[in-house]
Amino acid sequence: MKYLNRLRSLTIMICLLCFSQIALSEVVVIVNPGNASALTEKDIKRIFLGKMKSFPSGGTILPVNHSASSDIRKSFDKSALGKSASQIKAYWSKLVFSGKGNPPKELPNDAEIVKLVSENPAVIGYIDSANKSDGVKVVGSY
Amino acid sequence: MVLTKKISLLASFLFCWQVAAAEINFSGFATIAGGVTFDEDESLEGYDDNFSFDNGSVLAIQASSDLGDGWGVTAQLLARGSEAWDVNAEWAYLSYDASDEWRLLFGRQRAPFYMYSDFLDVSYAYHWIKPPTGVYSLPFDVFDGIGSLYSSTLGEFDSTVHIAYGSNRDSGILLGEERDMDFSDFFSASWTVNRDWLTLRAGYARADLVIPFSEFDALFGGWRSTITFAGIADDIELVDDSGVFASAGFIIDYDDYLLVGEFSTLDPGNNFFPDQDSYYITFGKRIDSVLVHFTYGADDNTSDFSILDGVPAGVDPGLDFLLASTTGLLATVQEDSSYFIAGVRWEIADSVALKLEYTDYQDDDILGVDASLLQFALTTVF
Repeated sequence: MKYLNRLRSLTIMICLLCFSQIALSEVVVIVNPGNASALTEKDIKRIFLGKMKSFPSGGTILPVNHSASSDIRKSFDKSALGKSASQIKAYWSKLVFSGKGNPPKELPNDAEIVKLVSENPAVIGYIDSANKSDGVKVVGSY
Repeated sequence: MVLTKKISLLASFLFCWQVAAAEINFSGFATIAGGVTFDEDESLEGYDDNFSFDNGSVLAIQASSDLGDGWGVTAQLLARGSEAWDVNAEWAYLSYDASDEWRLLFGRQRAPFYMYSDFLDVSYAYHWIKPPTGVYSLPFDVFDGIGSLYSSTLGEFDSTVHIAYGSNRDSGILLGEERDMDFSDFFSASWTVNRDWLTLRAGYARADLVIPFSEFDALFGGWRSTITFAGIADDIELVDDSGVFASAGFIIDYDDYLLVGEFSTLDPGNNFFPDQDSYYITFGKRIDSVLVHFTYGADDNTSDFSILDGVPAGVDPGLDFLLASTTGLLATVQEDSSYFIAGVRWEIADSVALKLEYTDYQDDDILGVDASLLQFALTTVF
């Protein structure tokens, strides 16, 4: 009986650990603290697909992305945009090679995205939640 | 004299410096394709029973630069294996963003005839190796002029209205010969709406056309010399005709399922080219990194023989000859064909897809030859 109880608490602990692991690798969408716009998940999707170009409160949106080969980009494409990496690539190639639009600029890491977002109220990006700082405001998480 | 030289030198130096300062973005796409038909008297899409590698291959480099204040410049240089890899500017335009919603393109750009027109050569962007040539069959696909793209939201839908005006004076291959074609007063309007998994599109286009067919000059001249039936020459010659084209299509891309359909109809004007009706429908299913797809399509080109109605047969041998030749010509350009395509697209790396396609083509014309074609392609964007 005691043995079973111990097993149960162990299971719970493992579950908790797994859960915190997921929580740790959460992706958060960030904007400048001076940006008062409230964004829905749909807005975020439209922004990163180049369909929404101005914030609800006005002002041009400058989305920044991670490079296509990064893990965080793959998980964001899947969870926020609902597409695989190759579907996103195909989507942008339709726009780029027909003069209809350009994909968001790519930056190499979270630190550079945080820096740019904290400096420019037009910029929106996403980072690992562990890397957020006071200079940015979280508007969505995945 | 020396001063002007110095000034021009300075000016060119400044110009170069300016160009060097502007950031130029390079991107591109490539498709290496090959195919072979199953029998020695079969030919389809430029392939025959000798395995060929260059026919469907395409490589393009695009350079674009943001000039500031909403202006941009883009050039897309494209080389096709079927044209001995000669490099052509497929797109070359200045763009101006008048607002977030409204973009204008000035220069050489794609004529927006069909649903996949804008990225016709970018095989990576769709599931086939290339869109079915039965529908995608107009003799030109670029124009020089002005394009206007207006994007907005209509309730839950994203809407794009694409208006184009211009001309095309390139040469192109028609009825097996390279010809100097002249399409003027080209106007087109298309409307695309999209919401999540649903895309709907409708398009209209018209152009005045002049296409010389020197091999038929004797026939045109023959009709003119009859005086009474001189009007028939105008009815078959491709001079100052206006062609009208319309198309409609849909894409349903829901979870792992894909359903695409497109229909087009062409009235080429008062000439020996037949009215053309074409359509296809595609079903696809994604299984992990593989997309399996099936397409059925048909083309129906019908000539109007009624232009010869008033001509009496058996009265004059000269007239009989003209009648027989013209009937023959009108019959030759008719088409009644259908095809079935089964294919797979497999994502073999981050931005490389491998495609395999089997096409079964059935030609129901009197002289038609059925054909079976196997094609493969490696395609990428970079």
